[in-house]
Amino acid sequence: MDVLLNDDENLIVDSAREFLAGECPATLVRAMENDPLGYSRDLWGKVAELGWQGMCLPEKTGGSNMPLVYLGLVLREAGRALAPLPLHSTAVASLAIARDGSAAQQEKYLPDVVAGKSVLTWAFTERDPRYVPEAVRMSARAQDDHFVLDGVKLFVDSFPAADHCLVVARTTPGSKGAQGLTLFIVDARSQGISHTPLITLAKDKQCQVDFKGVQVPKANVIGRVGEAWPIVERMLDRGTALLCAQMVGATRKDIEMAIEYAKFREAFGQPIGAFQSVQHMCADMQMWVDGGELLTFEALWKLDQGLPASVEVSQAKAFCNEKCEAAIRNSQNIHGGIGFMMEFDLQLWFRRVSAWTMRMGTAFEHRARIAHALIDVPGEVVLGRPVPVVPEDDAAPVPAARPAAAVPA
Amino acid sequence: MDFAYTPQQEALRREVRRFIKENVTPEVAEEMDPHAGAERPRGQGPKAAALYQKIHERGWLGIIYPKQYGGQGGDRITQYIVEEEFTRVGVNISLGGSGAPAIMAAGTEEQKQYYIPRLIKREISFCLGFTEPHAGADLANLRCSAVRDGDHYVVNGQKMYTTGAHASTHIYLMARTNRDAPKHEGISIFLIPMDTPGITVRPLWTIQNNPTAPVSTTYGASRTNETFFDEVRVPKSCLLGEENKGWRVGSMGLNLDRVGASRYLISVRRDEDIVNWVKNNSMDGFAPGKDPAIRDKIAELWIEAQVCRLMTMRSMSIVERGGQFTYEGSAEKVWAPEHGVRTTEAITQMLGPYASLLRTSPHAIEDGVFGHNVMGSFQSGINHGSVQVMRDQVARRGLGLPSARKSKKVEAK
Repeated sequence: MDVLLNDDENLIVDSAREFLAGECPATLVRAMENDPLGYSRDLWGKVAELGWQGMCLPEKTGGSNMPLVYLGLVLREAGRALAPLPLHSTAVASLAIARDGSAAQQEKYLPDVVAGKSVLTWAFTERDPRYVPEAVRMSARAQDDHFVLDGVKLFVDSFPAADHCLVVARTTPGSKGAQGLTLFIVDARSQGISHTPLITLAKDKQCQVDFKGVQVPKANVIGRVGEAWPIVERMLDRGTALLCAQMVGATRKDIEMAIEYAKFREAFGQPIGAFQSVQHMCADMQMWVDGGELLTFEALWKLDQGLPASVEVSQAKAFCNEKCEAAIRNSQNIHGGIGFMMEFDLQLWFRRVSAWTMRMGTAFEHRARIAHALIDVPGEVVLGRPVPVVPEDDAAPVPAARPAAAVPA
Repeated sequence: MDFAYTPQQEALRREVRRFIKENVTPEVAEEMDPHAGAERPRGQGPKAAALYQKIHERGWLGIIYPKQYGGQGGDRITQYIVEEEFTRVGVNISLGGSGAPAIMAAGTEEQKQYYIPRLIKREISFCLGFTEPHAGADLANLRCSAVRDGDHYVVNGQKMYTTGAHASTHIYLMARTNRDAPKHEGISIFLIPMDTPGITVRPLWTIQNNPTAPVSTTYGASRTNETFFDEVRVPKSCLLGEENKGWRVGSMGLNLDRVGASRYLISVRRDEDIVNWVKNNSMDGFAPGKDPAIRDKIAELWIEAQVCRLMTMRSMSIVERGGQFTYEGSAEKVWAPEHGVRTTEAITQMLGPYASLLRTSPHAIEDGVFGHNVMGSFQSGINHGSVQVMRDQVARRGLGLPSARKSKKVEAK
């Protein structure tokens, strides 16, 4: 038990922070808001040289097979700098291929990811925005040696930049819930795919993606046909925890700007940071980000160890959604009028963190998942012990199931 | 980063649990009851003494203290695990607050040799003599004086909220030794036997005022004290550390007193209670555990409790690495007490009138702990440094925000 960073972890943070301080100024962040693909190809190539895309991918595909916590630290730093890179979407998809894809799939897709030649993304959400299996309606019909995909996906991250997209669809017509779902690797430029950018407050490149009779080879199924939910759930858990890392990194930078501002901005004859009302706001902001960070890295660490971590992931996201938003709102308040002028950089952080709190599960949704694990699974809960409860000394922990719906029966 | 205990530490936890199951019988627990009231101070009866002897034989007292002083030379994570398990059943195995760490940090070799082994064997216990009628949050404003007279000091003054003073052998006292110096620079620490002539202890009864509060109640104690010093003559060997340098010694000890297993548990026990209650109980047609609003609130509080746990782990990690807190101890002392209050208050709105019932009432839920807790949980945001003072420390020490310029009006007064 030592929740502080060790020497290797500090080294990763320091080198990433130093690199981004030099390579990713706010001017680049601003410029990429108006770029059709939304990311810097030059920077993407440079971070590939640093090994970021391949950090947690298998060595046989060129990756470095490092712990997920390290990637979390890199995403934290990328979030801190608002690095305009499709790191998160690529990590979500490439880790799913690395963990649950076949050897052939890994060989085919991952070396290009490691080399910075390929951008990946993933498509789960449709009209129902919840991260529950019943939200998936898109159909995939088997036909000869391929499947035919029809339907509409929403909020697909970085799609304009993506070469391949992992798509969750229903291969068993009429199936409900977790049954009959399949995960596909889809060439983003396949015939029948079209996309429409969604205009978000973060000006990131989320899209509506329409699939009309899109043919996907059977060899592109990850895992077994109709049995994708456990794979998808792990993919979403990893993605959610990594998004939290990005959020706490960006929020930390955001509140640092407010704290520094409070030290020199004077009112009533002294720095506003000398007023207790401002000091206590800043103290709360610090504690919120610290709390979010601790929850996030505990979740990432547990995922890394192969331990059940769904509750930990939901703890992190529900907390970060509300506390990061509150922290960046306080930063705006401390800055006063200048904080929401476009020419001042603070708004760049505010808009992104805010948008990230709305993605990959709302606070209500994650808390419903926690409540299910706490209340609906028998056994006495004890703080510091696994939830849902596993009998002491039991070698095989019971995996957490997502509740069928936010409202219990 | 490492968020797990080692297999050896997990095995130790199971061993402690087995020990507790076999040895902490209801009769012993009754003798240990911290809230039982005035006349029977906690843990001092014959059954309790026998239990402590057994715990000592296992090597679970004074784990983090060096072997030469009667400790085990162990690490803080081990200490934390053992302390967490014993605290859960109401058995206090800590050395009673900030006295022992301060002696280790600032004491002479003689003082260490004398006090530490006796504290570990529970032959000596300290109560805390810091707060005064005019010095609470602004502790350095204290007036209790210790005047040098040859080889002695003469102490005069009044200390407030000296919890346990009626049952302690010694007081860990902060007093002013120089009236002319700036307020932080004229303070010294003394270790004074309570049976010294001139010391009077008078009970103060708390809002609980009810010796039946369940053991796990947050601040369930009914009694604290005020302690008066009237021409109390003590040898100069009672001084801890250097004269007039007591402020640092005192605040270092206080910081350590704000973190750790018992501080964490008093703020989070109700989270476990309410989850375990709603998953097994209902009131006629009403099952709180099936109510979506209540489920959402319970999950929210559970997450906050995890933050309390992780902040505690962070403090342990810092201390175990030999580091110093910049603001982390203070942050923990804001977050955990306020969380405890939020949970306690939320439960009142989940259980309605049932949450108002005290232990001896018909229909009381969980021995009335929720009702007792309403009167106790807010106290943890006040005791040992209020959450407002703790936020000041986070802001100034942690974030480097400046102190307010004193207005002339205040200075003139």
